Amino acid sequence: MPEAPNESKQDDERYEAYIQCFTHAEPDLRRFIRSLLPTWSDTDEVLQQTALVAWRKFDDFDRSTQFIKWTCVIARFEALAYRRKMARDRLVFREDVFELMASEGIDEIEERSAEHSALEHCLGAIPPEQRKFVTLAYTPGVKIKELAAEAGSTSAAFYMRLKRIRHKLMDCIESRQSSPPTS
Amino acid sequence: MNNSFSSLSPQDKEWLDTYLDGTIESGEFENMQDHMVRDPAFRKAARLYLSLDDALFNLGEDGSNISQSWQGMTPTHSKKIVSFSRLFPLTAAAGLAFLLGSGLMFWLGRSSPQEPLVVDSSEIDPPSANGFAVIKDLFNPIWSKNSDTHLSGDSLGAESFRLASGTAEIQFYSGALMTIEGPAEISLKSAWEAVCHEGAVRMKVPPAARGFKLHSPSTEIIDLGTEFGLVVKNGEGRVEVFDGEISLKHHDQQERLLIKGEALTLPQNGPITSLETGQINTPDTAKLRPHAAEQAMNGFRSWQNHRDSLARNPELIAYYTFDPDKNTNLIPSLSLPRNPDLDGTIILAEPVGGRWPDLKSAFEFRRPGSRIRVNLPGEFPALTFSCWVRIDSLDRRFNALFMGDGYENGEPHWQIREDGKLMLSVMVDQDRNLPYHPESRFHHVYFSPKIWDLSMSGQWMHLTSVFDPEAGEVSHFINGGEVSREEIQPEFEIRTFHIGNAEIGNWGQPLRKDPNFTIRNLNGRMDELAIFKSALSTERISRLYQQSRSTHR
Repeated sequence: MPEAPNESKQDDERYEAYIQCFTHAEPDLRRFIRSLLPTWSDTDEVLQQTALVAWRKFDDFDRSTQFIKWTCVIARFEALAYRRKMARDRLVFREDVFELMASEGIDEIEERSAEHSALEHCLGAIPPEQRKFVTLAYTPGVKIKELAAEAGSTSAAFYMRLKRIRHKLMDCIESRQSSPPTS
Repeated sequence: MNNSFSSLSPQDKEWLDTYLDGTIESGEFENMQDHMVRDPAFRKAARLYLSLDDALFNLGEDGSNISQSWQGMTPTHSKKIVSFSRLFPLTAAAGLAFLLGSGLMFWLGRSSPQEPLVVDSSEIDPPSANGFAVIKDLFNPIWSKNSDTHLSGDSLGAESFRLASGTAEIQFYSGALMTIEGPAEISLKSAWEAVCHEGAVRMKVPPAARGFKLHSPSTEIIDLGTEFGLVVKNGEGRVEVFDGEISLKHHDQQERLLIKGEALTLPQNGPITSLETGQINTPDTAKLRPHAAEQAMNGFRSWQNHRDSLARNPELIAYYTFDPDKNTNLIPSLSLPRNPDLDGTIILAEPVGGRWPDLKSAFEFRRPGSRIRVNLPGEFPALTFSCWVRIDSLDRRFNALFMGDGYENGEPHWQIREDGKLMLSVMVDQDRNLPYHPESRFHHVYFSPKIWDLSMSGQWMHLTSVFDPEAGEVSHFINGGEVSREEIQPEFEIRTFHIGNAEIGNWGQPLRKDPNFTIRNLNGRMDELAIFKSALSTERISRLYQQSRSTHR
């Protein structure tokens, strides 16, 4: 049955408002979820569920609070439910660790966001060859072991290289964060 | 700000690196967590490091270019594919984009803002691709309003559903076969266990599945290799053994055997009583199949009408329906006026059943060398690709639908990345490089959100992608519904398109010498492909899907 025009327009507006809020919050939300779960694909799943639950509860959202904080609370709950379903042999944080990571993570959203801009700069600054290597190693579906074998190397060597690049990036981020702004 | 990461000990860093790489041993993982509980600074550094990991993962959208410089390193797919809820109707795909996050930015929200509301709480828990049963067949199913709906071929995990009417056949991976007649409410527990809350069920349990348990509200029935029927109405059950034997336990009473030709009532309260046989009616698919065949025939005839009328569309560049010409053994392009130069040559691709398996063929590109080669000359102002495809798995990093050979200026690549995202790209300037990827030529890949995961293996789906220079947009559609729309940035603008030599289901003869990267055969089958030299509108794509679809998937 077609909706009454007014109702439909209201829904449109409501939906657009939601999309706008969620789009804005998504990167922060993703980083928050990533800190709680072992892999990117777990992060993806929980992010999707969070988007869905947040949409369903959007009417309850109190506009005086921060949307990102509100979705983090939902994501925390969803991630907790998700980790309980996961196999025990996976690298899943224990509940005590999970709770600490989640409650502290919510308070660090702005900090993470600031670090991210530094990171973007640092990624641009690493040599193209290293950048290519990380991009390839971080492509969905890539198995380091097979990649290394095909390149005539070992996975240990590949992990070592990845580790060095990550450490270098961390140094870069932290030095940018601690130095005073230039402009 | 304090430098939380650089002040960590080598041991701390080692824990974090091995955790990220997934190589940490369980004892060390425990130690790491103990340390996390004790040391807030370590936790903080861990969060920072994990956010770096997240950023790196989101770094490279276009792996193809990067990998071209890594000859000899062809990654194979193996990572778990994130499942998204196949319960979410794909036809309501407008909502899908937002569920999938990454397509969010590009979705303009114009199709139907109400659609996400159709998702109810039972859908929050997405079924995984590794379910334990599959819907083998459906006969006129009508699902209850508050139930999940299913299609033939869907895989099922631990879940409940309500069938208002019609018949469903469920094949458990244990080998047990369950036929359900609506109205019925069923819960699946495992490959070995299910509950019938209401409705009529017939179980067929081969020797391999002996021990399969079916519960009625009051009774546990263990199948000892047999065929039996159970009808539950208002909590009261009736059971009859047609062949073999079953063991049943009613409330707290002792277990008892029931053999062929015996029937019992299973009251909600009170003891079991004997029942005359032949009193319960359980579904029999043998009687339904002829009717289903007739329905398939009707569906096929209506598709033939669609085919004949589409062939007359002057906007077509080519139109293949994959029924090879008996004389030439080529795949004819049906677009009119007929031009045999557009016919496709079959190389290693194998003929298999199409959407109507006994009536129409499809081609499968299972072997790495398999492909159908075509040559489509001309210049076009826009492109629309539309096909019916059944993907078995995404084995390659990039899985070809339709690929221009050389990927030269104005030539398209239409494919699916291994993570299930549909991709359309056209070479913008082969003589220029991308600033961010100096080794690759100037082009842009337009991705859809994830449109496929393993739970959809073996299901037919309709894919359409549109390159519309006039509107300045590239959009993707699944089963007639829009899933993403992305603006064409001025530097990637293209006004003239070419195809020339190209392949269906693989990528042939690329000009570059990167053999490891060229194998892009699609592990799946295609039974209809239309290529238009215009940008089809949203309405027309929806209509194209409706008119070409099979009622029996």
